[in-house]
Amino acid sequence: MLQLFLIAFRNLGTHRRRTLLLGGAIASVTALLVILMGLSTGMKESMLRSATTLSTGHVNVAGFYKVTAGQAAPVVTGYPAILEQIRKDVPELDFAVQRGRGWLKVVSETSSIQVGVGGIDIQSEPGLRQVLQIRAGALDGLAESGTVLLFEKQAKKLNVQVGESVTLAAQTLRGASNTVDARVVAIAADMGMLSDFGIFVPSDTLRSLYQFKSDTAGALLLYLKDIQHVPVVQARLRQTLTDAGHTVMDHDPRAFFMKFETVNREAWTGQRLDITNWEDEISFITWTLTALNSLTGVLIFVLMVIIGVGIMNTLWIAIRERTREIGTLRAIGMQRTRVLLMFVFEALLLGMLGTLAGASMGLVLCLAVNAMAVHVPEVVAVFIMSDTLNLAVHPSSILGAMAFITACTTAISLIPSFLAARLKPVTAMHHIG
Amino acid sequence: MNPTASQSSIVSITNVTKDYTLGKVVVPALRGVDLEVHAGEFISIAGPSGSGKTTLLNLIGCVDTATGGVVRVAGQDTKQLTERQLTNLRLNTIGFIFQSFNLVQVLSVFQNVEFPLLLQRKLDKAQRRERVMQLLEQVGLASHAKHRPNELSGGQRQRVAVARALVTRPQLVLADEPTANLDSVTGQNIIDLMKELNQKEGTTFIFSTHDAKVMSHANAVVRLADGNFLDRISAAEASRAMAAGGH
Repeated sequence: MLQLFLIAFRNLGTHRRRTLLLGGAIASVTALLVILMGLSTGMKESMLRSATTLSTGHVNVAGFYKVTAGQAAPVVTGYPAILEQIRKDVPELDFAVQRGRGWLKVVSETSSIQVGVGGIDIQSEPGLRQVLQIRAGALDGLAESGTVLLFEKQAKKLNVQVGESVTLAAQTLRGASNTVDARVVAIAADMGMLSDFGIFVPSDTLRSLYQFKSDTAGALLLYLKDIQHVPVVQARLRQTLTDAGHTVMDHDPRAFFMKFETVNREAWTGQRLDITNWEDEISFITWTLTALNSLTGVLIFVLMVIIGVGIMNTLWIAIRERTREIGTLRAIGMQRTRVLLMFVFEALLLGMLGTLAGASMGLVLCLAVNAMAVHVPEVVAVFIMSDTLNLAVHPSSILGAMAFITACTTAISLIPSFLAARLKPVTAMHHIG
Repeated sequence: MNPTASQSSIVSITNVTKDYTLGKVVVPALRGVDLEVHAGEFISIAGPSGSGKTTLLNLIGCVDTATGGVVRVAGQDTKQLTERQLTNLRLNTIGFIFQSFNLVQVLSVFQNVEFPLLLQRKLDKAQRRERVMQLLEQVGLASHAKHRPNELSGGQRQRVAVARALVTRPQLVLADEPTANLDSVTGQNIIDLMKELNQKEGTTFIFSTHDAKVMSHANAVVRLADGNFLDRISAAEASRAMAAGGH
């Protein structure tokens, strides 16, 4: 077997130009795949980091409360008792926070915007401190009632600075209009689509605006020690909360604000809980990931077809050039399977060397891009939820890309290799050319 | 070694025919040939181009199949064997020496000679090394073991091919015009080498040739013409016939 590898290796070396051309093509596709996977994973990680801080936990226990059949509010009543039960039922829990949820109008002296609002207890939100980049003011200002955190784009549109006041206007659960004044205590850097439509205020300010009781929350955001446990925890909570007498809605993998229309059409009134995960809550933007992954798939497929034709062609030429050698080897006693292996090894080696070079190139390029902190246009930042390009490179994905392309190149070589192995010794030996 | 040393038959060919189809035309290459070769013989197959020498060697070497008749090699009817069994028969029983040497260009002299042993998987590394070096000594190329074929002369390459053919200690070695691509002196040396190995090891050699000088070393000459078996004569008779203008 080693001798077959040696023959394959030396044949690649003998036809250096051909090997370099084809190996270069394989390396290029591998590098492209590594970079595109890095971009996709980077986007996913940015989305996960941003989303799980700004708008969702790994698992959310949220819900809707309806005073009348057609008017739902994103409210969980009596949340401390539910939170206590969750802490008991979910040993995988790292920490949990309660958030108020709402939709309101922010009015400044010169302009106004419609946004979603998160009511937070800033002292119990360690994640926010890590993710939000405060451009002006201080996050701790949110500890005081009647304050608000805006994002840069919002502040610009409202034409307000830290220290200035805005008016928050919303409808209460019973349909009455209410307003509160809030002082801008912090302006944070934009974080893509999720920061375009959200602001943060202290929980009591939100409750005051909506005239909620102090045991009312919009959602309980649960952060797990290991995100892999999300499906298990989600399923368990459905069961335990149902057993505890709560009405739990059927799983609907959409963000909470997309469910109002459906919930309002239903005839029930009172409280129902909705258990979702982070992917459900940002499903409205994950299409960008799906699109990128699809584009990567199509691109790699097309390139693999081109490479496949190249490999087939190269092996055809190699087999044609070495037909007499195949005949000789068959004559001196080499079985067909070994002839097949000899050519498959050649493709395998070419694939391995090509993908190794390509993966190294891709890795270096990804690290260089990350080190340079390349800024992306605003329109791109909206989708990747970061103002800099982040190409996430993980050893497993690099090895996966290498294995995938090597497997493809080897599989493609099977056809010409099989036909080489089928050659009759006498025909092969007397081949001219 | 002469034929009387062992009268057991290594090759037995009975009424063998071989037809090639070229488009719609069937071309007979062998027309009912009978031949018996005994172990230890050193036989030459002679005849003009197109007489069927190579076809006959291919049938004996199990690299081609007869259209009709029976070919028995080492007691086995080749028609009854599967492709895998035929390959094993070639590997273990037959050695080949080709007109154009047919060495694997990317392997060294040592690796070329060792290759059939690796296919056999009977000997360990040390045993293989000993066997190969012993043969390279015999063919005078021990000092060239690490060279590649393209660094050798034609005669040296053919000696490597001889070593490769003999390394598995086959009962039968087939050589198709082994001296055709060599100058007369080198060709003579190769035949001397083959003869020496025949006498020392008792290996049966069957080789085809046009060359009367080469033929003169054979125990017997089998003459073919137009795919027919003409006769089996001594080397001296063959030389006389060639001198007289016959085949």
